[in-house]
Amino acid sequence: MKRLLAVIAVFYCLGIILANLSRVNFWLIFALGIILIAASCFSLRKKYIFPVLIFFLALLLGGLNLKKSYILPKCHISNFVSYKDNTVYSLSGFVDGAPETKNARASFVFRAQEAQVNQLKWRCCGKVLVKSDFPRELRYGDKLVVIGNLSRPAGFGDNRQTYRDYLARQGIYSLMHVKNSLQIIPQSGLAGSKLIGFSFWLRDRCEQVISRHLPDLPASILSAMVLGQRRGIPWLVNNAMVKSGTVHILVVSGFNVGIVAFIINLLLKITRVRRKLRIILAVTCLLIYCLVTGATNPVIRATVMGIMFLLAYIFKREPEMYNSLAGAALFILIINPRQLFDVGFQLSFASVLAIVYFYPKLRDFSRIENCRIKVLRFICDGLLVSLSAWIGTMGIIAYNFRIICPVTVLANIMIVPLATLITLCGFTLVLCGLFCPFLAGIFGTTIAMLITLLLNINAAVIRIPFAYFYL
Amino acid sequence: MLNFTSEEKKVILFLLAVAFCGICLSSLAKLNYRVKKMFCPQESLTKLDLNKISLEELLKTKCLPPKTARRIIEYRLEHGDFTGLDGLKEVKGIGEKRYEKLKELFFIE
Repeated sequence: MKRLLAVIAVFYCLGIILANLSRVNFWLIFALGIILIAASCFSLRKKYIFPVLIFFLALLLGGLNLKKSYILPKCHISNFVSYKDNTVYSLSGFVDGAPETKNARASFVFRAQEAQVNQLKWRCCGKVLVKSDFPRELRYGDKLVVIGNLSRPAGFGDNRQTYRDYLARQGIYSLMHVKNSLQIIPQSGLAGSKLIGFSFWLRDRCEQVISRHLPDLPASILSAMVLGQRRGIPWLVNNAMVKSGTVHILVVSGFNVGIVAFIINLLLKITRVRRKLRIILAVTCLLIYCLVTGATNPVIRATVMGIMFLLAYIFKREPEMYNSLAGAALFILIINPRQLFDVGFQLSFASVLAIVYFYPKLRDFSRIENCRIKVLRFICDGLLVSLSAWIGTMGIIAYNFRIICPVTVLANIMIVPLATLITLCGFTLVLCGLFCPFLAGIFGTTIAMLITLLLNINAAVIRIPFAYFYL
Repeated sequence: MLNFTSEEKKVILFLLAVAFCGICLSSLAKLNYRVKKMFCPQESLTKLDLNKISLEELLKTKCLPPKTARRIIEYRLEHGDFTGLDGLKEVKGIGEKRYEKLKELFFIE
């Protein structure tokens, strides 16, 4: 079977969905899995029964993994917290992620290692989202003691996607609100992974380069496009891009990963590095880029797919699009099966799947190859890619955001090539800024102009009658 | 020495074109102030005009409760256009924390 991994991924996802809908016990699924493994062992030589059993095993594995994700360790900090708790906890641990500061407030994910209430001390685990009413200079890995009340996140928001669910998907079940700076006590030493620490440091350096050479708004947009940092984007800009269906350009995607792979490959090619070593170094750089951009779902998908394609060259195997996509989905869902219900995950995979499936069919149907004018063929190709992605994601967008944007296809034809150019210039600026800062200035002006042009086009497109409508 | 592949040629051409464009634009910006506007997006693209915004648009932002949104519009009708963003502080229901958030959302022409 050519697309074995793709079929396994489909069954695995089905298992997650069925387990989410039903209330079947974890141990029951486990027992069924044991029976299926035994049955598979006995039917190793059966041509048709064996694959069917394997697919059902994948289905059970999906369900089992989801049920497992709901089980928290006994020492998990959230086990000690009721909805609102007046007990003052003193938690020791470290900052597990990049702290965010906005409107003179800070928030960061804190990995608790030890908890204390009065004189009672015990070892614990789990993440807590700490929100402080004051800005605080913190880095990933900083060891701290935080003191305050713990609470469970409220379930406000749309019934389908509540804030509680959103945090739970990130493994956060408790919140701590800190009002006074004395409630955060720094400790000596650093904790956490050194590689992640290095990635955050690199990201800060890249952000500094961007903000040094561009005005505020273009800098925030370029940071989103190149580094996946969207916190500086004004609400109105984001909303305008949602209306035109071009908000995907503000997310790091497969295209960015492709550019990183291309740049690394080219640099190593110029220095005459051997092909195998080049691929290994490119894979390492892709992993670092994935961490720099915050390892969000689209980046992980693109990185896994990119690595699978690169490894296919080493092992001299033909890369297969559906299998790589399935491999990426399985990679994310094995680590965290609840990501299947994340809109970002759904949009990312649906758009790629739709492009892979619909684009060649639409191309054959429209007979673009017969067109002799190269520019027209290029425009038509862009139109078909946008149309394919729109078909694939329209349902998910309409269900989750209650908006339909018929202008998407037109907007993407104009905006995507421009965004591509901006991303390329953005990478050039960042690399120049890091390695020869005196040259970076000459790229800044061009990027600022391109971003201004992009915003103006977007604003013009959403003014077209019936460009978008809310459901 | 000049044995470039087609990919390398494209990259060099791209870098030179962007650098050329950048130098030209920054020189033009020094000579003519209007050119500078090309690099800085207009405020109306990123923020809402506090003196022109309707109640419906204000509610769509979901940045403040409907009651407060109504109070902003009523305040504008009663006292005339806002002369500065500080005027928001005089609207009932807008404290320092909310003002800090709203400051990023609005501008006054």
